Amino acid sequence: MEISVSEQYGLPVVKMSGDLDSTSASQAEQEIFSSIDLKTQLVLDMTDCRYISSAGLRVLLMVCKQLKAQGGTWALAGGSEEIIDIMDMTGFSTFFTIFTTVEQAAESLSKQ
Amino acid sequence: MIRRLDAHPTHECKGFSLRSGKPIPFGAVIVPGGVNFSVYSRYADSCVLVLFNKHEPAPFAEIPFFPEFCIGNVFSMVVFDLDYENIEYGYRMTGPWDPKSGHRFDSSKILLDPYAKSIGGRDEWGKEPDWSNIFPHRSRIFFDDFDWEDDTQLQIPFEDLVIYEMHVRNFTAHPSSGIKHPGTFSGIREKIPYLKSLGINCVELLPVHEFDEFEHSRLSPVTGERLMNLWGYSNVGFFAPKAGYAATGKYGMQVDELKTTIKALHKAGIEVILDVVFNHTAEGNEQGPYISYRGIDNKSYYMLTPEGYYYNFSGCGNTLNCNNPIVRNMILDCLRYWVSDYHIDGFRFDLASILGRDQNGAPMNSPPLLETLAFDPVLGKCKLIAEAWDAGGLYQVGSFPSWDRWAEWNGKYRDDMRRFLKGDAGMVPAVMQRLQGSPDLYQWQNRMTSASVNFITCHDGFTLMDLVSYNDKHNEANGEDNRDGSNDNSSWNCGAEGPSDDPEITQLRLKQIKNAAAMLLVSNGAPMVLSGDEMGNSQDGNNNAYCQDNSISWLNWDLLKSHGELFRFMKQMIAFRMKHDVLRKSSYVRNTDSNAEISWHGVRAWEPDASFDSRTIAFMCRRFGCPEEPDVYAAVNMHWECHSFELPAAEGNAKWHVFANTDMRPPHDISEIGNEVLLDNQHAFLAGPRSVVVLVSKLNQRKGEDNGTAVTDGT
Repeated sequence: MEISVSEQYGLPVVKMSGDLDSTSASQAEQEIFSSIDLKTQLVLDMTDCRYISSAGLRVLLMVCKQLKAQGGTWALAGGSEEIIDIMDMTGFSTFFTIFTTVEQAAESLSKQ
Repeated sequence: MIRRLDAHPTHECKGFSLRSGKPIPFGAVIVPGGVNFSVYSRYADSCVLVLFNKHEPAPFAEIPFFPEFCIGNVFSMVVFDLDYENIEYGYRMTGPWDPKSGHRFDSSKILLDPYAKSIGGRDEWGKEPDWSNIFPHRSRIFFDDFDWEDDTQLQIPFEDLVIYEMHVRNFTAHPSSGIKHPGTFSGIREKIPYLKSLGINCVELLPVHEFDEFEHSRLSPVTGERLMNLWGYSNVGFFAPKAGYAATGKYGMQVDELKTTIKALHKAGIEVILDVVFNHTAEGNEQGPYISYRGIDNKSYYMLTPEGYYYNFSGCGNTLNCNNPIVRNMILDCLRYWVSDYHIDGFRFDLASILGRDQNGAPMNSPPLLETLAFDPVLGKCKLIAEAWDAGGLYQVGSFPSWDRWAEWNGKYRDDMRRFLKGDAGMVPAVMQRLQGSPDLYQWQNRMTSASVNFITCHDGFTLMDLVSYNDKHNEANGEDNRDGSNDNSSWNCGAEGPSDDPEITQLRLKQIKNAAAMLLVSNGAPMVLSGDEMGNSQDGNNNAYCQDNSISWLNWDLLKSHGELFRFMKQMIAFRMKHDVLRKSSYVRNTDSNAEISWHGVRAWEPDASFDSRTIAFMCRRFGCPEEPDVYAAVNMHWECHSFELPAAEGNAKWHVFANTDMRPPHDISEIGNEVLLDNQHAFLAGPRSVVVLVSKLNQRKGEDNGTAVTDGT
């Protein structure tokens, strides 16, 4: 799992590449929290994420709950059909607004 | 945050950092830095934790519990730095091999944790297992932090329930279900709009605990297809959901998927009751496999004969020793877990009479397990429903120990109503009791209508369509020469055995199905509808389709088109029941004093005919002091001739209107609520052969409004 933080369309974008599972979840959580301002808006870019496990799903939810507690907002971009399907069936998708591209996600957040 | 003092290892073994664990709770629990493993065995001498990487054939570590890690009869230790999402674990137990004394320890076997919350090995339904696997059912560790938000048990009053008995796989496995993930928990979630449309408010799921669909797998002598354990009345683990029922089972996420499904059902106002099987396990008798309990503590978990063989009160090879204090606690832990972690609203206990037998198999007067469950605080708001008999001959319908908490599957309701439906003589007195919620069975114990789950069909036996299409069972496809399944079905085929092109027969069958639905839904007590009966689902006369994972069992959704009139009838009857409180009384309707809430009638008003040859009965429900509530009148003519029924007067200026008349063809067989049609003759009406007529009193309905409404002939 590789995590990179960049700014696109005026928003911080956390890009996760590879497998988000128990071996990478803890690192992912730390890196995300250390690199963003929780009061802001955030795009989670899952375009290059191959697999997400239970631990990975929980990290995403933890990030979003922390953001919500601080008044931030977020959106999820990309994600394979399989990943989105897993998120649907396990109930995690109800906590995210999911867009096809980072651009769409950023556009939606900027209107909020 | 301050780290805990016990978050540090004290021992090392084979490269693993360890410390003494906490004995309670049993099972594997994630703790700071590691996992706490705890397992009970009264008679084992030693125990080894066996660790596998997920799906790997051989273990990567075997870690013994040090003697100082044992407290009482419990082995417990913390193993640090485990990648718990990617491991599977089991135990090896060493102890005496002495079957006569009840001990069958075998340290060559790797055993499933009886408290495993997630079990791997049958991750995808029907996927051929690796038969050489040395540890086929593997304990896994799962996060128990599901985000329920504000979800809670719905606590729908018992008398307001309309239960829909459903098999997870059968409900949506058929291609006609038209959904993304057929045969799964997610499939149920996709079909919630359908369930809402029907109007039910509770689903009762056939077992969803982990079981092995390949148990007793064999080929059908009729079709050559593989026969499976489809129903799942054979537990591998009591705490884990059936992975193969989850579309995400292959990812090990069945826990989250089931919880998400329950959360969605609750949001739609639908309770979830689980059918739980605590009477036996999948280990069978002494010839069966070692999965868990036999190798962990055979003598505690099973009822054994003095010679050390397995008692078979379940008919499935062994009998769980439910009133052993340790097993009792396991059952309580299990149910508490399902209520607190899964928000389950109630349980239906399979062959529950076994739960009232002592350790020698004798029935007890106040079985401690049943009493414990009745008074347990965590289970305090959930429904407890007993299948009040067992395969050992104990039959307790009407006498199951209840402490005013236990309800029963009312087997007598099923038997009496079936016989009445097919036109047997001598049934009217019993039917009068069943319609009122069976006070003859329950009132003597001061129990209420909530003691009775009324049903005419359930998974066990004919579907409603088959009940009116077959005189005899046709179980040849099960491969037991038609010996399996009940011979006592009280069914009638309406003139031909099985499918028929004769319109008189097919029409009569549809009418009989509506008759059954109407009687069920005007009876006090909680009605239970078998999934598929609302669309005329058939199992081709198979009354024991436990092994038919195919079109025999799968619900064919195309039936909604061909038998749409049945769905419409059932839906409207459910709506009618929900509209009229007098049909959903929690206490028994008063039937004696001058303000009687129920009055009995027959072909002559106020004169019910309960004689042996009578096949007619009618009743009127009236709530005194509630003038805004209409009277409800229902006449049941199970005779093969027409009968004119004289009507009692409706209250005040109200007039009788027809809500349902099963003798009429659609759309006149049943009305929309509020569109009931004024009856021409307010003094009498003609009920057709084998028909049910339901009337409601109203003040101001104009005659002849025709919006798909019911009519009946005046006389």
